[in-house]
Amino acid sequence: MVAGVVRRRAGGGVVVLGAIVAVLAAGFGAGVLALLTSVFGEGDECGSPAGSATGIVLAGPGPGPGQLVGATEYGGPGDPSSGVVGSSGANLLEQPDSYAELGGDTFETATAMGGLPYLTPLRITWGIRSAIAYKRDIGLGGGPIDGLPRVLDLWWELAGRLGIPYEDGLWAGPVRIERPPATGAGNLLEQTAQTAPALVAPSTADQDPAACAPAALEGVPVASGDRAQLLRNGLAAAPADAPLAVREIIAAGNQIVGKPYVYGGGHGLPLSDIAPAYDCSSSVEHLLYGAGLVPVSYDAPSGTLESFGQAGPGRWVTLYASADHVFMYVAGLRWDTHNAAGPGDGSTGIGWHPLIRSDAGFVARHPVGL
Amino acid sequence: MRSRRAAATLLCALACVGCGHSARGPASAVAQADATHEYPSAPPPPQTAAHAAPTATQAIRSFVTAYINWDAQTVSDDMLALAARSIGQARAAMTLAAAETAGDYELRRGGIANSGAVEAVAPLSGSDDRYVVVTRESTSASNTTAYQGLRPAWHVALATVHQLPGGRWALSGWQPES
Repeated sequence: MVAGVVRRRAGGGVVVLGAIVAVLAAGFGAGVLALLTSVFGEGDECGSPAGSATGIVLAGPGPGPGQLVGATEYGGPGDPSSGVVGSSGANLLEQPDSYAELGGDTFETATAMGGLPYLTPLRITWGIRSAIAYKRDIGLGGGPIDGLPRVLDLWWELAGRLGIPYEDGLWAGPVRIERPPATGAGNLLEQTAQTAPALVAPSTADQDPAACAPAALEGVPVASGDRAQLLRNGLAAAPADAPLAVREIIAAGNQIVGKPYVYGGGHGLPLSDIAPAYDCSSSVEHLLYGAGLVPVSYDAPSGTLESFGQAGPGRWVTLYASADHVFMYVAGLRWDTHNAAGPGDGSTGIGWHPLIRSDAGFVARHPVGL
Repeated sequence: MRSRRAAATLLCALACVGCGHSARGPASAVAQADATHEYPSAPPPPQTAAHAAPTATQAIRSFVTAYINWDAQTVSDDMLALAARSIGQARAAMTLAAAETAGDYELRRGGIANSGAVEAVAPLSGSDDRYVVVTRESTSASNTTAYQGLRPAWHVALATVHQLPGGRWALSGWQPES
């Protein structure tokens, strides 16, 4: 929690909470922010903080894997001085999916995310909820929040949509932000100048979203045919005839075989991380991320996976989800967090299980194309 | 002997004239290619377009509506159809898009679809054949959350039109700008 939040915005009139303290804090905060951003930089392609000193938190026009940043909320009945009109001229009551980019101690320095154009969309995630919001405002910076650079202010209704408790406009905490992918036919078909393929080969991570995934295919055992095989060491051998995505899922599973089961384990972390423990949904999501089937920030309970992908069993991959549990089959081998099929089902921990279990009470889903 | 020598001289002179005439006359195709780096050939036949429209704006609206409304299963065929109804650079761009989307695993795996409407078509100032096109489009996906929650967005493109023999119109250039 940060006290004395700087709350001056353009467009909506000048609004200051604790003006003198705020201005002083802003100056101090700008220095701290510059220091922090020089340490955190953009993070690498896979979302983990890196040491690159870009001076801004989120740069570039394209989608990114996202990162944790400090955020505050503003507006609402407890914060009437913020007004309701953003510096873009938008009425924020009519456009509640709004955020303000912060930074520095003047409006010209409100560029903590690189000076995003108005209406730039960001996916903002708090806990297990996420929402798209658009930049319609700017504001002054402030000190770090939980050690993270403070870069954006969430309009209070947006914060409420994310489940953030309303604290009269004074809430502060970490959120995860990422740029959503470009939309529109010209961008999807890579025919705009911004999306046209580069003449110089891009990095591997740019070429293949799954390249960011933790699962390296090198070293993954391969079995002939089209079914995965359980090996003596508990790992799975990927079928040689399977699509690349299936082999990537198996590679990701092999990374966390034998991890302890902890309810809630693995949640709240980027899927690119290897967590010390997993539960059913976080482990399944780790495997899906291995093939680039969910974004790095994806974090959902098992019930949410009841609507994943397409209905019914898949050719290679089938998830069985309910509000209480989720498990999956990958090329005929079951990925589960406990021994559910009786003796001979394998270990009681997280991993590959050779026996089929009952799917009563579960919804079958599969990734498109798999 | 003198007459033989005279004949030889005459032949030599004729041969030299022949050589000289050959060097100064129309160049061979190879010689022209050597000089200009272009091998001469007959001009290509004029391109034809299927479903050409009676007016330039109708051609643009029809083309763009098809360009922005597709899903992962249809996009390749849709782009091929657009290639057939356009000429020049636009045809090349659509042919390329058709080829690339036919093998685009990510599009199909994500279940990505695009939809939208043409909001405005206006002639570009100072140009007889170029138009600014404004669309409003939504992108969705059935198997990824990446596009979830995104509002429809405005996009701008430049279209170039060409009047075909017979008076009907087709797109000859297409450049999305955003």
